[in-house]
Amino acid sequence: MTVSIADWFKETANWVFILLAIPTLLGAWRTVTSNNIVRSVLYLVVSLGGAAAMFLSLGAAFVGWTVVLVYIGAVIILFLIGIMITRAPLGMKAELSHASNVRMPAALLSLSMFVLVAWGLIDAFSNTAIEPFEPTPTSDIANLIFSRFVVPFEVVSIVLLAALIGGIALARRDDGGGA
Amino acid sequence: MLTLDYHALLPELIVAGTVLVTLVVDIVTRRKHLVAIIGVLGLFAAAVPILTLSFCGSLDFCSSTEASRVMFGGAYVIDGYALVLKGVFIFAGFVALLLSIGYLESDRYYEGEYYFLLVASVLGGMAMASSRDFVSMIVALELVSGPAFMLAGWRKGDARSNEASLKFFITGVIALALTLFGVSLLYGLTGTQQFDQIAVLSETVADVPLFTLAVIFIVLGFGFKVSAVPFHFWTPDTYQGAPPPVTAWLSVGSKGAGFVALLTVCYLALPAATDVWGPLIWIVAALSMTVGNVVALKQTNVMRLLGYSSIAQAGFMLAPFGAVAASGAGDLARPFQATITYFVIYAVMNLGAFGTAIIIGQRVGSYELEDWGGLSKYATGVALSLAVFFMSLAGVPPLAGWFAKFAMFRATIGVGNWWGYSIAIVAAVNAVIAFVYYAKVMKSAFFDDVPEGIDVDVAMSDAIPAPIGLAVGLAVVGVFLFGVLPGLAANVGNFSTDLLGTLGL
Repeated sequence: MTVSIADWFKETANWVFILLAIPTLLGAWRTVTSNNIVRSVLYLVVSLGGAAAMFLSLGAAFVGWTVVLVYIGAVIILFLIGIMITRAPLGMKAELSHASNVRMPAALLSLSMFVLVAWGLIDAFSNTAIEPFEPTPTSDIANLIFSRFVVPFEVVSIVLLAALIGGIALARRDDGGGA
Repeated sequence: MLTLDYHALLPELIVAGTVLVTLVVDIVTRRKHLVAIIGVLGLFAAAVPILTLSFCGSLDFCSSTEASRVMFGGAYVIDGYALVLKGVFIFAGFVALLLSIGYLESDRYYEGEYYFLLVASVLGGMAMASSRDFVSMIVALELVSGPAFMLAGWRKGDARSNEASLKFFITGVIALALTLFGVSLLYGLTGTQQFDQIAVLSETVADVPLFTLAVIFIVLGFGFKVSAVPFHFWTPDTYQGAPPPVTAWLSVGSKGAGFVALLTVCYLALPAATDVWGPLIWIVAALSMTVGNVVALKQTNVMRLLGYSSIAQAGFMLAPFGAVAASGAGDLARPFQATITYFVIYAVMNLGAFGTAIIIGQRVGSYELEDWGGLSKYATGVALSLAVFFMSLAGVPPLAGWFAKFAMFRATIGVGNWWGYSIAIVAAVNAVIAFVYYAKVMKSAFFDDVPEGIDVDVAMSDAIPAPIGLAVGLAVVGVFLFGVLPGLAANVGNFSTDLLGTLGL
């Protein structure tokens, strides 16, 4: 069963997808090409926002809002604070745009990766119809985290603790001496 | 209601408790080596339930007479394989901690947090050994490498240490992204992320190109972690720049975690794709041996030399696995056993080699080979211990390394077709090349003259710190024990695969 292009555009969900995909892609493109690191971070917000909206449109409310809260809310702020406290020079920075001799190989590599993965995905899933499903209630996810996934959950908490402590020890200004 | 098998989880619980206690003790005391001692005791205590769990299967009065304890519907399994690896991680963490005590006393960076991070990293390795689904495994793998990234850059004031940390971090994160991408594709295809279910469900999608792509991504991602060629570029710089005790942990703990991930995933989750990862691992193994050894020939810095040597050793470890899988010869249990045997022996001798290198480095003040000239003339004991570990790495009997190589050759030649014979030939050539540079270090230490500028009296003025001495002594005993009684190491390898067999895989 193949879907013709005309039929594809008749579907409302596909228009929603296009509307979300365009800002997501543009945001990602500008994140990489921008010469100003603060702007890069702000474009990343656009891109992540698009991704979050896409999760919401797929009925994965929990994942969507996690992206909003954790990535847009926390990680982006962390980026900005990180830029501030390391006193990195704000504004345009020539070094951010890479030397032109690595641009071509990098572009080629990304492009071939894209073609490979896109071809693989189309080959595997293009004819798979997704059954309508009930959105997963968040309480189910909570129950799973504290039963089936309790070990990885606890391990993650120690990863975060270690990252916090190690980060402080490494970032703290000192004259090379410990306490 | 969730019921947990606390006996089975006890080793992890003890180490997790130790992690938290080290943090508290670090706050209340100014004598930072107490933190390390607590870490050492915690790891020692965690070894006890590992022993009781190992023998529980053969005892009647045990609460569970099952040989392997399966939890969370097969997502977390305590079997012989997991127990052996947990033991290796605990031993490696134990030795790395002992090496650090002496090292950090001579350095002026934060100590308490350092021990905390090291024990946390060990915990990651232990959780990793039992993980039988991708969520647990990748989270545990990150607990191994996350602290390791920071430990590599612990000497903040040293540009080399910064470089070590940053290179390790960036390649590590790229590798993780690659693996996660592969895992997400696999999840999309099979609808599960638990290994035993993937093994069943992936048979129906084995012909889909995307499945092949997912397997390649996963194997390549783990390839970075084990620093196999061509994903090894970070290794020499990181090994040279990181504080030496951290390098010792990286070369066994962090690399070992990568091995465990690679072997467990390939063996348990992807039997349907042996025709993909088999040749891939075969090529990676052959390249790692050859490139690692040939480049090691030219090294003048002992830490870099050990870095390349560990790349080459990774190749030896993967060789049997790649050969059997590539030829589709079916039974993966034997190469699995050879690889685990090799890994256990490698852990002991490599930790010993690093320990000895640290002792010499501290006395001579340099890791450049030319400064190590004539070591035997003023530090005979240390030079002998250097000889023990380097000859073991080279595979000279009666030191443990020979049996590791023997098990590897037996498994590769045992395949009985050209995949096996050809990689056995590659390995044999490489064993000879490896002997040359290990012997070069020996020649320098035993036959060269003491170079100008090395003040023998200064170098010999301090006694060897007791913790380092203990660590190296343990490794010496291990190397001789495994070398003289190779059955011991083979039993460890057998023990791990026998129980894997009982899982019906």
